[in-house]
Amino acid sequence: MSNRVEKKIKEPFIRIEKRADLSSKVKWLLYTSAFFTAIVVGGIFLLAVGVNPLKAYGKIVEGAFRSKMAVEATIKLAVPLLISSLGITLAFKMKFWNIGAEGQIIMGGIFSTYFALFHADWPHFVLMTVMLLAGILGGGLWAVIPAWFKTKYGTNETLFTLMLNYIALYLIKYLTEGPWKDPEASGFPKIASFEANARLDKIFNVHAGWLIGLLLVLAVYAYLKYTKQGFEISIVGESQNTARYAGMNVKGIVVRTLFLSGAICGIAGMCQVSGAAFTLSEGVAGGVGFTAIIVAWLARLNPFIILVITAGFSILEKGCSVMQSTFGISTAVSSILQGIILFVILAFDFFSSYKLVIKKQKKGGAKNDY
Amino acid sequence: MKKVKRLLAVLFVFTMLLSMTACGTKESEKEDSTSSNSADSDFKVGVIHIGDPADGAGYSYTHDQGIVAMQQELGLSDEQIIRKNNVADSDAAATRAAIEECIEEGCKLIFGTSWGYMDTMEELANEYPDVMFSHGTGYKSNGTNFNNYFGRIYQARYLTGIAAGLKTKTNKVGYVAAMGSENSEVTGGLDAFAMGVESVNPDAKVYVKVTNSWYDPTLEQQAAEALLDLGCDVLGQHCDTTAPQLAAQNRGVWGCGYNSDMTKDAPEAHLTAAVWNWGVYYTMTTKAVMEGNWNCENYFGGMADGLVDISPLSDNCAEGTQEAIDEVKAKIVDGSFQVFEGELQDNQGNIVCKDGEVLDDATITGGINWYYRNVVVQ
Amino acid sequence: MAIELKGITKTFGSVVANNKIDLCVKQGEILALLGENGSGKTTLMNMLSGIYYPDSGSIYVKGKEVKITSPEDANRLGIGMIHQHFKLVEVLSATDNIILGSKKEGKWLSKKRYEEIKEISEKFSLAIEPKKMVYNMSVGEKQTVEIVKVLYRNADILILDEPTAVLTPQEITKLFAILKKMRAQGCAVIIITHKLNEVLELSDRVTILRKGESVATVNTAETNAHELTELMVGRPVELSIQREESKGNENLLEIHHLTVENEEGLEALKDVSFELNQGEILGVAGVAGSGQKELCEAMAGLLSVKKGAILYHNENIVGKSPRDIIKMGISMSFIPEDRLGMGLAASMGMVENMMLKNYAGTSRGPFVNKKEAKKLAKRLVQELQIVTPDVETPVRRLSGGNVQKVLLGREIESNPNVLITAYAVRGLDINSSYVIYDALNQQKKKGVGILFIGEDLDVMLELCDRIMVLCHGKVTGIVKADQTTKEQLGLLMTDAMEKEEGQHE
Repeated sequence: MSNRVEKKIKEPFIRIEKRADLSSKVKWLLYTSAFFTAIVVGGIFLLAVGVNPLKAYGKIVEGAFRSKMAVEATIKLAVPLLISSLGITLAFKMKFWNIGAEGQIIMGGIFSTYFALFHADWPHFVLMTVMLLAGILGGGLWAVIPAWFKTKYGTNETLFTLMLNYIALYLIKYLTEGPWKDPEASGFPKIASFEANARLDKIFNVHAGWLIGLLLVLAVYAYLKYTKQGFEISIVGESQNTARYAGMNVKGIVVRTLFLSGAICGIAGMCQVSGAAFTLSEGVAGGVGFTAIIVAWLARLNPFIILVITAGFSILEKGCSVMQSTFGISTAVSSILQGIILFVILAFDFFSSYKLVIKKQKKGGAKNDY
Repeated sequence: MKKVKRLLAVLFVFTMLLSMTACGTKESEKEDSTSSNSADSDFKVGVIHIGDPADGAGYSYTHDQGIVAMQQELGLSDEQIIRKNNVADSDAAATRAAIEECIEEGCKLIFGTSWGYMDTMEELANEYPDVMFSHGTGYKSNGTNFNNYFGRIYQARYLTGIAAGLKTKTNKVGYVAAMGSENSEVTGGLDAFAMGVESVNPDAKVYVKVTNSWYDPTLEQQAAEALLDLGCDVLGQHCDTTAPQLAAQNRGVWGCGYNSDMTKDAPEAHLTAAVWNWGVYYTMTTKAVMEGNWNCENYFGGMADGLVDISPLSDNCAEGTQEAIDEVKAKIVDGSFQVFEGELQDNQGNIVCKDGEVLDDATITGGINWYYRNVVVQ
Repeated sequence: MAIELKGITKTFGSVVANNKIDLCVKQGEILALLGENGSGKTTLMNMLSGIYYPDSGSIYVKGKEVKITSPEDANRLGIGMIHQHFKLVEVLSATDNIILGSKKEGKWLSKKRYEEIKEISEKFSLAIEPKKMVYNMSVGEKQTVEIVKVLYRNADILILDEPTAVLTPQEITKLFAILKKMRAQGCAVIIITHKLNEVLELSDRVTILRKGESVATVNTAETNAHELTELMVGRPVELSIQREESKGNENLLEIHHLTVENEEGLEALKDVSFELNQGEILGVAGVAGSGQKELCEAMAGLLSVKKGAILYHNENIVGKSPRDIIKMGISMSFIPEDRLGMGLAASMGMVENMMLKNYAGTSRGPFVNKKEAKKLAKRLVQELQIVTPDVETPVRRLSGGNVQKVLLGREIESNPNVLITAYAVRGLDINSSYVIYDALNQQKKKGVGILFIGEDLDVMLELCDRIMVLCHGKVTGIVKADQTTKEQLGLLMTDAMEKEEGQHE
């Protein structure tokens, strides 16, 4: 069999390999270097469009903190992101890929807006409580739909929750142009601004959503770590077979957890309409539900790290907004900058679980020849 | 451990750099304020745009041209103008955040250029009594620090209607409207356009297609295509992009633009556009606020003020258009001709303005919900 | 020299699967690659067949250094591997499977292919029906197809990965005859195994791997089981299982006419009836996939039962959920085959895994109380010599033996009356296996009824009191372990299969 055609075979130059678990020190190093690489790559981009990167970054940091008002604005940006990231965390912990936070925020907003528009005369405390419960119900039910279908018919939750986002969005459009249209807006399709009674109270000059968010950080942490239901979520996420083996009612747990996941996103929606926008509009979720997925993922579903990462995101967003107007550059530039920074950090995240192996060049490659 | 230390060092240096640049900008700002001989250099003006002026045409660009004109007229530096671009007026929270950022920057006067900002601006005016808020294209005011400004663009539209009426051969003129009859601004403008058409071509009809969106290039193009399919050979528009003009040019027919002179966008199709010279208002108001003598009344400027006009006629116009338009324009400027003067009949046969009467401004801004008699809704 | 490996090293993350391994095999020789699970046998062979690529080291085939980066390369070099899990297309015939992917056939299929396949099968006395569909084949037949497939590609170096695991004793005898014939024809054969008797019966030389390193290569004629075990484990091992006398004969579980459908809706168990007594170990034998998994899951309440009854002290527990069964005060423990996928939560620590089944009872309120679980985990580490950095370390980081100890420890701690274990020692090293056998005997002494699903007949004959044989979901016999032989069990394992074939003809 010596007459076989022998081909010169090359070694693969780069291979991707799974990494062993990294020690926390190495991880810390990895994320720090991710942060700095992101800054540098973003800086090169800024240079390319003719902006001094040092000044720009300075402005971003300054912009997010320069005054009490700026800090308040940053916090306002953080609230919906924080709350919906926490909501997503519950579902993700169970490995139920809920990418419908956007729709759940919207439904929470819609449900609570009903009371703000039509029952604004109720006592303030009662109205706020009812609006909060309505938000919980709206978001929760919207998330239960895909959960129920998944347990009953095995539908794909990713597609299902994604599609529900659009339905929710068009529902707002319908309400805005139809039954809830503000009659005083001379034909302009919008929903009326809430009366003062239907607005979320301010605590230290920022709507109470921030306090709700912080309480939820503690609540979600404790729920996942110390309660029986939290334990069930972890087990179902680990392996549905193990959960069944342990005698758990898997379907019940999935539906219940998704209700909670959606409910928390619904709270974010309630805070947005009653605390930030004072009305219901198509922009109520504004992509927060998708950003929240990244936040939850980067934070490895740890509520406290979610808080930190949310803060980072909000600072970046607020700072970029200030940078844009200060330097008079296009909004596209600041969006691209945010994209670059995020992309680099996510790329490094990949390297926390994988590594590239580059083959060393051997001396005397003739050895490979036959 | 060595590596960690090295990294920490880099980190430290970087933070130092950051803080230095941050301080640096502050210092240079201070220098600016001391070197300038007038307190006016502290005065900042905020502008909230729904689009991005960098687009080079359309609604936000036109407004921004007005801001630039004001800036040059009053000698303000670039740092004194804070622009927030792409602020969706369907997102109340984002609107509020953008305006608050202007306040945070120290703006004493804020212009909001889109209808949807009105309620948010009204509320913020009450929250920040020291800041002046001027909102475009709406109707509310509070008499102290919040007003609305708008203009008699219908006068310009009447003139573009003349150009369209003279040009059409099929006697079908199309019109892409952003909103339906419930919106008085759009409907009044359309009626004025239709009257202009009728004044020179009584046989022509104006066909309308509504997009239900102020800014949507795709929908606007689709609406324009539909009108062209009907046989329209001149397209008027009340929407923000050049899409209808480009669609007309593709079919080898003509159109009348809006907001800015669209001859440069569709040189073979464009006749003339109804245009705004917002700079007139922006200069006047900014100067008044700086000098502390702003009266905060709603402003409704017209062709006589120079706020609205038509762009120079292109070579595509029919012969005699210039003369016909000049004659009417002179009468509008000197007040001897009113567009909404009776007798006016809508397309249902109702008399909406009796002979010899003139519609008042409140009706023009908020009460025209009828279509003129030669308008056909598609 | 057919194949020579020099200094082969392969790592996965921080795990060194193969460390500087040397190995050689001649034409006309059968080499046994012996080692416990996880010693790196399969990894090493996968590098020969082009599935993995070594980090360092060199491979020589027939004297020339080669790089094998794909199975195609391996084919070209005349290397053919028969994997533990067959890679056949069920809906195609034997012939189609054999020629599939081969470069020999042109664009058009010719009748010649049947002849060629016939020629090969005659040359090596392989019984094969070229037109039979794979889904109609027994495991042994499928394996034969795999072998022909490799030979059809002109392979003269054969690698077989644990080929006997799924075969009955009779099929094993046939396979060995085939392999010996191939050796006579001048082929080089490498057989991966961890069963000593097979090594001694078949091979010319043995290379022993331990923890990723090759510890020795010996001539089979000059060695014995004891020496091989010692080399494999690294120290002398006492190889005997004591069978405790079965004491109580009280009936614990009665299974009546149990019929169960699997997830695809096929009947995996057909009319199964048996009894499990107190203080006995009832072995369940059968080729893989004969219904063992379904039997366990149905008994544990994880799989719904189509027909039949499971009586526990005369109370029917069919249709009850695992939780209901626990609530009835029946303590039934099930040690599933898929330990990390079913019995344990892989990414959680021992503590959490201790309370997997009783977390709801750890406290009255909504919170879990981990105190007891932590105490238990610490005690088990002591008692069962579980090697773990900490009781909070995720169990997936533990070795297979320690994982099994965690699982078994938890179940025994719940003081069960019935203990169901599926493949309790699969993947375990010899020492761990004996710890598990001991623990099971302890339970038996306490009067627990044990259902032992096993695969090694030698072990079952020593350990069990009675052995029930399953074949195609049916019980083909229940025999006393001390009154039967391996051959007899083997016949029972294939019994129904042959009958079925008889019906076809």
